[in-house]
Amino acid sequence: MADNTSKDPSATWRELISTWEKNVNSIANQTMASEEFSGASNQMMNATLKVQQAMGSAMATYLATLNLPSRADIIALGERLQAMETYLSRIALALEETRPVASGKRPATKIARRNRPPRTKRPPTLADQS
Amino acid sequence: MSATVTDPKAESVADRIAAEVERAIQRNVKGLGYISAPAPSVGTTPKDIIYKRGTLNLYHYLPIADEVYRVPILIVMATSNRGYILDLAPGQSFIEFLLRSGYDVYLVDWTPPSAEEKSLRFEDYTLDFIPECVKRVKKDSGIKDLTLIGYCMGGVLSVLYVALHPKTQPKNLVCFTTPINFQSMELFAKWSDRRYFDVDRLVDTMGNVPSELIFTGFEMLRPASRIAGQLQLWEQMWNEEHVKSYRMFEKWSTDTLPIAGEYFRQTVKELIWENNLFKGDLKIGGRSANLANITAPMLSVVAEHDHIVPYAAAHPLIEQVSSTEKEEVVLKGGHISLVAGANAQKRLWPRLDAWLGARSV
Repeated sequence: MADNTSKDPSATWRELISTWEKNVNSIANQTMASEEFSGASNQMMNATLKVQQAMGSAMATYLATLNLPSRADIIALGERLQAMETYLSRIALALEETRPVASGKRPATKIARRNRPPRTKRPPTLADQS
Repeated sequence: MSATVTDPKAESVADRIAAEVERAIQRNVKGLGYISAPAPSVGTTPKDIIYKRGTLNLYHYLPIADEVYRVPILIVMATSNRGYILDLAPGQSFIEFLLRSGYDVYLVDWTPPSAEEKSLRFEDYTLDFIPECVKRVKKDSGIKDLTLIGYCMGGVLSVLYVALHPKTQPKNLVCFTTPINFQSMELFAKWSDRRYFDVDRLVDTMGNVPSELIFTGFEMLRPASRIAGQLQLWEQMWNEEHVKSYRMFEKWSTDTLPIAGEYFRQTVKELIWENNLFKGDLKIGGRSANLANITAPMLSVVAEHDHIVPYAAAHPLIEQVSSTEKEEVVLKGGHISLVAGANAQKRLWPRLDAWLGARSV
């Protein structure tokens, strides 16, 4: 007969949870692997997308009537701002690279190639042989 | 006067009750701390960004070792998740492990694609982004060779890049949990059944595929695991290490990225529906992306209990490449615990170092 008193209650709890998790996952996977599930879930998604599409175009017309920017307009503005930021950061990077290292004005994290460790490392076994 | 006799079983029960009471107190005290604590900081290993273009970020990690191997490493992260899974925290970071072991490490990491980037396709990733990063790593390191490491879809992009550029093979190619036979990812294949799943409507309506949809897709593979994890967390609330680790993994797993619309459409149509990568029929930008074009020394690492990319999905990689020097390693663990956490520290990391060190001189 097993000695139940020697069992750690936490271990029993963990075992229980683990068994429950495996069982639920297994049953859910079987259900979700069915054609019915795939059909139903995709039907639901398609319906949601149709509503979203219809709402989107109706809202765009409404906003245009009110002479207000739509989400697409705001995104387009954001894109242009981002493009300008990227362009500016490229210019800043290029300027930084042309600045002499000796001036000590480069950011501390940017390490010049000459300050990098030498590429001489050998794996332990090869190093032992040489 | 009678001698005191201690019943060992009774003492053990008393000790256990005391320990449980102590744990219960700790659970309550630390539970309050857990609720009020700020999000854990991750990805803290010092790095420079050496190239950025939209969704693409190329980082160079600052070397830690006094000397490094000649050949630098370029890691390509999966497009659906953040790269900090490879750099969780000091002492638990794959990147930090590589740096300490003497590797020079670069990382391609992704940020959410902008609305404009919905038009990104495999062509952009494999004929533009990765080649550009390879060029920049070579320029930055001053070395013509490099080791390419890809994780999950980052592995797919890496093998596609090499297959599309057969004349400029990397010195080494390493893939972690990289799917090739997409029909073997059974649930994903069933959910995206072409008779029911209207990928065109999804992409045309949404532009980029929202991160919530990607997250839900991953969650549905194991619907009970999140609740089970939370129940285990409550039991382990007294254990600071467990709580810290749980919070980092939790943060990462919920921090999924949206996916560029056209890239998602191609993934569904070309990789899942037609299974063209597996069949050797995949064409990108009019060029053949046949895995047989790969001749670089290769290591493919597969996780034994991977619920996202099962063995049958990843195994064809090692069979189909033409590399004369190739090895497949199946390690205990799941899709994520293969690369991060205690399991990875004792299995994958030293195994990779043993394989790669000798090939990095």
